[in-house]
Amino acid sequence: MLVDPPIDPPVDVVIVGGGASGLAAAWRLAMRGRSVRLLEQGETIDQRAAPSLGPQWERALQSRFHGNPNIRRLPADYPVNAADTPIQPASYTALGGGTQRWGAHFPRLRPGDFRVRSLDGVGEDWPIGYADLDAWFDLNDRMMGVCGVAGDPANPPRPERPMPPLPLGPGPKRLAAAFDRLGWHWWPADSAVATTPYGERGACNNCGPCGVGCPRLARASADLAYAGAARAAGAIISTGARTLRIRAEGARATGVDYVQGGIQRNQPARAVILAANGMGTARLLLASASPDHPAGLANRSGQVGRNLMHHPTAMVTGLFAERLDGHKGPFACVLFSQQHIESDAARGFIRGYQFQAIRGGGPVQTALGGYMARVPWGRGHHADFERIFLHSVSLTVTAEDLPEPDNRVILDPVLTDSDGIAAPALHYRLADNARRMLDHGIAAGAQVMRAAGAVDVVVNPFVAAAGFHFLGTARMGTDPGTSVVDALGRAHDVPNLVLVDGAVFVTAGAVNPTSTIQAIALRNADALADRLEAA
Amino acid sequence: MTDRLAALLATLIPGDADWPSGAIVAPVVAADLAGVEAAVLAVLPADFAAGDEAAVHECEVALPAPFERVVTALYIAYYTDPQVRRVLEARTGYEARPPQPLGYELPPFDDALLDRQRLRAPFWRDPDKESA
Repeated sequence: MLVDPPIDPPVDVVIVGGGASGLAAAWRLAMRGRSVRLLEQGETIDQRAAPSLGPQWERALQSRFHGNPNIRRLPADYPVNAADTPIQPASYTALGGGTQRWGAHFPRLRPGDFRVRSLDGVGEDWPIGYADLDAWFDLNDRMMGVCGVAGDPANPPRPERPMPPLPLGPGPKRLAAAFDRLGWHWWPADSAVATTPYGERGACNNCGPCGVGCPRLARASADLAYAGAARAAGAIISTGARTLRIRAEGARATGVDYVQGGIQRNQPARAVILAANGMGTARLLLASASPDHPAGLANRSGQVGRNLMHHPTAMVTGLFAERLDGHKGPFACVLFSQQHIESDAARGFIRGYQFQAIRGGGPVQTALGGYMARVPWGRGHHADFERIFLHSVSLTVTAEDLPEPDNRVILDPVLTDSDGIAAPALHYRLADNARRMLDHGIAAGAQVMRAAGAVDVVVNPFVAAAGFHFLGTARMGTDPGTSVVDALGRAHDVPNLVLVDGAVFVTAGAVNPTSTIQAIALRNADALADRLEAA
Repeated sequence: MTDRLAALLATLIPGDADWPSGAIVAPVVAADLAGVEAAVLAVLPADFAAGDEAAVHECEVALPAPFERVVTALYIAYYTDPQVRRVLEARTGYEARPPQPLGYELPPFDDALLDRQRLRAPFWRDPDKESA
């Protein structure tokens, strides 16, 4: 029996989660005249005081800006049981969510990604297509501030980017020439980085470590792009406010219970939006079980938490005799190749992967290995370090994962957060298809490095730290028996509960998902505004 | 204990004519580890001295998780140490300063680099056309 906490004034929409999707949805709804309150368990970060201004910036990257919440352990973080997955979680808890910590690589899912079953006989088709999101992609690009070049032959046409692409620098320039030499695709990445002044944001000065925040505000984050605009439109954004459960009566969500400053309260609302990423959203749905929803809220299908997809990643690094100065320039979003992203049965796997260029890191990251192995200790340490530092460039092999019901998020029976809410436990196995995809990508990536003139190629066959993306755990569909939400993110069982984050993905594509997540969030929020107006 | 930790760190990162050894950051590592190193040091032989890599290898095999924490703490402390950063700058040209506020210069993107790629026909799959 739940104790009724004090009740806040009701709003049209309460949004749980202030990351990429929640903030976009808050802005859209507030712009449409809806009363909105957003609850974010993390705090606001002042990027103008980012650690990259001081000498201990690499220490910050390994501690309070570490991607793994089990290592970072900020007060607002919840622990994750990752004992039964080879992919460790990488997320961030603050206003802006993972976009506080990200590399700002900003590709879109591609038209075929929405029709995987029809095209390749695997996974499922989405109930929406690329055309349904096209206008929302463009709107989101303008809000986030995207640089790049239109005309990529691997993707549908899109408007000219408002800002020119990032400079390549010596390493990626070598990769571009190598792709050309092989006759393979490459293109400057769409990146959520301002390369010229953009509104109140300054232009990127190629400092490198985007992952500790950007004091020039050149690298976009969801809080920079959306929070101020949402507040200006009337949205209330509350930080340090952790949602405990979503309340529902029958098929209607009534609001959320949350704790802020040690005090529990209830925020009643006409509609609830859940935007806590594919791990946190599944966790909260499961933790909101009630007599009306004994298996978890919106879980009549039993699909909540299932079909967890990541982007399994391998890393191919070329070592060069020449100095490449990989510390100069945003680290993860300069160029990509989609040469092997479409299915080709001759390759021995279904679907495909993307290459993404990664520049080198600072001295600490180089020594610790980044996404590679760490530099060995002992007598050869400095020689090995100097062979790599400033002399390397890498390609990620970002593979498309396919939905598997046994890859899932469940509630841990023992582990809890500091407010007693069960922690998520991840259960995941790498599929054989994804393994073959990674192996193909490793061989192809080595080919690129050799064509680029690498004197040595170092391979990390599986990047354990690459759990950046949590997708598919409350997927959309037309059948309430096999999906959790409909094409507009409405829970089949609780139609005034709307999901807007990566949980709704039906398949994962082989590209970073944030652009697509935000386009979905804007679209779903706009549709919710329509319904609230009509009511 | 401090001497044994310094000896261990000097074995993990030995010094030479240019580079200082890992021992110079022993106090920082000890503060960061807050006692984690005790188990590692306890496994080393009583007469352990800097340079005994065989003993350290045995320790790494016996206690992989705490050993990894010691190495991680050492690498973080060592490569953020001002003295080490000055050596790094002298040997590689990597400036001993934070990335901001100065940032770094890079030449702007040269659009002519895309000449070959622009010749390529679109190759993304359009499901509407494939099902038509």
